[in-house]
Amino acid sequence: MQVFLTQVLNGLQLSMLVYLLAAGLTLIFGLMNILNLAHGAFFTLGAYCGVVVGSSTGSFWLALLVGPLLPLLLGIALQSMVLQPLAERGRSTHLDLALLTFGLLFATAGAVEWLFGSAFLSIPTPMALSGHLDLLGISYPAYRLFIIGIGLAVAAALTFVFDRTLLGATLRAGVDNRAMVTALGVNINALFAIVFGLGAALAGLAGVIAAPLTSVYSQMGITIVVETFVVVVVGGLGNLRGSFYASLIVGMTNAMSQAYLPEVEMFAIYALLIGVMIVRPQGLFRSVERVA
Amino acid sequence: MSEEATIARTPPTARETVALAAQVQRTTCVLAAAVLLGALALPWLSASYATTLAIEIMIGGIFASGINLLLGGTGLVSLGQGMFLGLGGYGIGIGTTVLGLPLWLSVPATLLVVAILAAGIGAVCTRTRGVEFLLITLAFSQMFFGAAIKLRLTNGSDGMSGIPRPDLTFVGLNSDNPVVFYYYVLIVTIFAVAAMRRIISSPFGSVLAAIRESERRAAAMGYAVGRYKIGAFVIAAIACAAAGVLQAQYTYFINPDSMSWQLSGEGVLMVIIGGATTVAGPLVGAAVFVLAKQGLSIVTTEYMMFFGIFFMLVVALFRNGLVEALKAALWSKS
Repeated sequence: MQVFLTQVLNGLQLSMLVYLLAAGLTLIFGLMNILNLAHGAFFTLGAYCGVVVGSSTGSFWLALLVGPLLPLLLGIALQSMVLQPLAERGRSTHLDLALLTFGLLFATAGAVEWLFGSAFLSIPTPMALSGHLDLLGISYPAYRLFIIGIGLAVAAALTFVFDRTLLGATLRAGVDNRAMVTALGVNINALFAIVFGLGAALAGLAGVIAAPLTSVYSQMGITIVVETFVVVVVGGLGNLRGSFYASLIVGMTNAMSQAYLPEVEMFAIYALLIGVMIVRPQGLFRSVERVA
Repeated sequence: MSEEATIARTPPTARETVALAAQVQRTTCVLAAAVLLGALALPWLSASYATTLAIEIMIGGIFASGINLLLGGTGLVSLGQGMFLGLGGYGIGIGTTVLGLPLWLSVPATLLVVAILAAGIGAVCTRTRGVEFLLITLAFSQMFFGAAIKLRLTNGSDGMSGIPRPDLTFVGLNSDNPVVFYYYVLIVTIFAVAAMRRIISSPFGSVLAAIRESERRAAAMGYAVGRYKIGAFVIAAIACAAAGVLQAQYTYFINPDSMSWQLSGEGVLMVIIGGATTVAGPLVGAAVFVLAKQGLSIVTTEYMMFFGIFFMLVVALFRNGLVEALKAALWSKS
C-alpha cells in the first residue's frame, strides 16, 4: 500500500512536469495551428539557463526566476520573426512549420552540446526543500511535492486566465475563429507572440524544476517532448483542460509501468496513445469536431 | 532587362507547352541515362571512398522513396518511417542469427512481416491526417524503438551484429568486396526506383495524388480513400524495410538508433531537399544529404547542430526541392 501511494505521488509529479510542457504546446496548436516540435528545445534551454544561474549565484530560486526568461524571449522572437513571416509568405500549411521546428529542436540540442559539452549537469536541490515530508504514513521527498504544487498552481492560474479574463476570452475566441477575432480589432500577431512566448516560458520553467531531479543534458528536451506529444494528442490537440487530464493519465501510466511492469515501461504510454487513436482519433477530451 | 527575359514571362501557348514537355522528357531521359552510366562506371572511375558514399546514397534513396510515396504521393507526412527501416534490419538480423534461417528466406519473410505489420499500423494511422498523422507515426516508431531497447531478442541497446551479406559464391563473387556489394545495392536501387515510378504513374498512384490534392473529393468520387492510404502506407513500409535490410548488410550491424526519431527526420529531409513530387527527387535528396553530411563531418564534429540548421533552411527556402528548382530554371530558359 505504501509503495503504491509513493508511486501515485511519483506519477502525479511526472504528470505535472509533462503538463507544464503540454499546456503551452496545446495552446500554441489550438491558437496558431502550429505543431511546435521545438517545444522540447525550450525545456532544454530553461534547464541550462537554470544550471548557469544556479551555479554562478548558488541560488535555486534565482535560477527558477531567470530560467524561463530566455525561453520566453526566444519563443516570442521565433514566433514573430520566423514562423509568422513564413506563414504570411504562404507557408501556412502547418506541416511546413512543424518540420521547421523539428529542425530547430535538433539545432538547439546540437548547439547546447557544442556550448556545454555532452556531460550530465545538475542543479542541487534547494536547502528548504531537500528534506522528506511525512504524508499519509509515508515519507516523501519535499522537492517532488513542490513540483506537484507548482503544476497544480500553474493549472489553476491557466484555468483562471482562460475562463475568467479578457485575455482568456480572446484566446478562446482565437481558437474558435481566428478571422473573426482579427475582424474585431485584436492584434492577433501580438497575441500569437505572447502565447508562444508564455508557452515557451512554461517549458523553460519545467526544465528548471526538473533539473534537481533528473540530469541536465543536451538531448533532454528531445526525450520529454515525445511524451508531451502523447499527452496533447490523448487530451485532444488544442484542448487545455483535456491536456491536464491526459497529463495525469500519461504520468500515472508511466509511473505505474516503471514500478510494476518495468519491461513495458518504454512503450506503455505509446500503447495507450494508439488505443486512444483507435477508439477516439480526435482525442479523449475533445468536444468540438475539427473539420478536415 | 534583356529581350529574352521579357519573352520568357509571356504565358506559353499549348503547342509550346507540348514541345516543352517533350523537351523536358528528353532532358530527363538523357540525365537518367547519364546518371545510370556514371553509376555503373563509378567503381572504375574513382577510389573506394566514392563507392562507399554511393552505397550510402542509394540506401538513403530507397528509404526516401518510401517516404516520398507517403509525403509526395499521398500528402501524408510521417515522422516514423525509421521504424520500418529498423524492422527491416532487425528482421533479417533475427531471421539469420537467432532463428538460423538462410538469408534468401529471411529477406522475403522480413518484408512479408513488415507488410502485415504496416497494414495494421497503417489502418490505425490513416484514420488521422495532418499533424495528428505525424504524431501517431512518431508514437509507433517510439514504441518499436522502446521495444528494440528493452527486448532480449534484439540484444537491447547494443544491437545485433554479424548480419550476413548475400552469398554470391555461386556466380564466383564475394559480396564482402565493396565493389560487388555496390553493384548489388545498385541493382536493388534500380529495381526499387523503377517499381516506385510504375506505382506513382499507375491508376493506384493517380488515386493517391487525388487524395493528396483533395481527400474529400476523392472520397466523393467513390474511391475507398482509407484502403488506398493503407496501401500506400504498406508499400512505403516495404521500401523503407528494404533500405533497412541493405543498411544492416552494409554495416553487418543493426541497433535501436536506426529506429530513432532523428533518422525518420533525416529521411523526410532527403525527400524535401529532392522535391516531393518527382521519382528522382528522393535520390537527388539522398545524394545532397549524404554528401553534405560527409562534408560537414570533415569541418566539424557538431553534426546535430548543423543537421538542424540545414533542415530549417531547406524547409524555409527550398520547400519544393532542388529538382523543382532545376525544372523551373529549365522552363525560364526555353
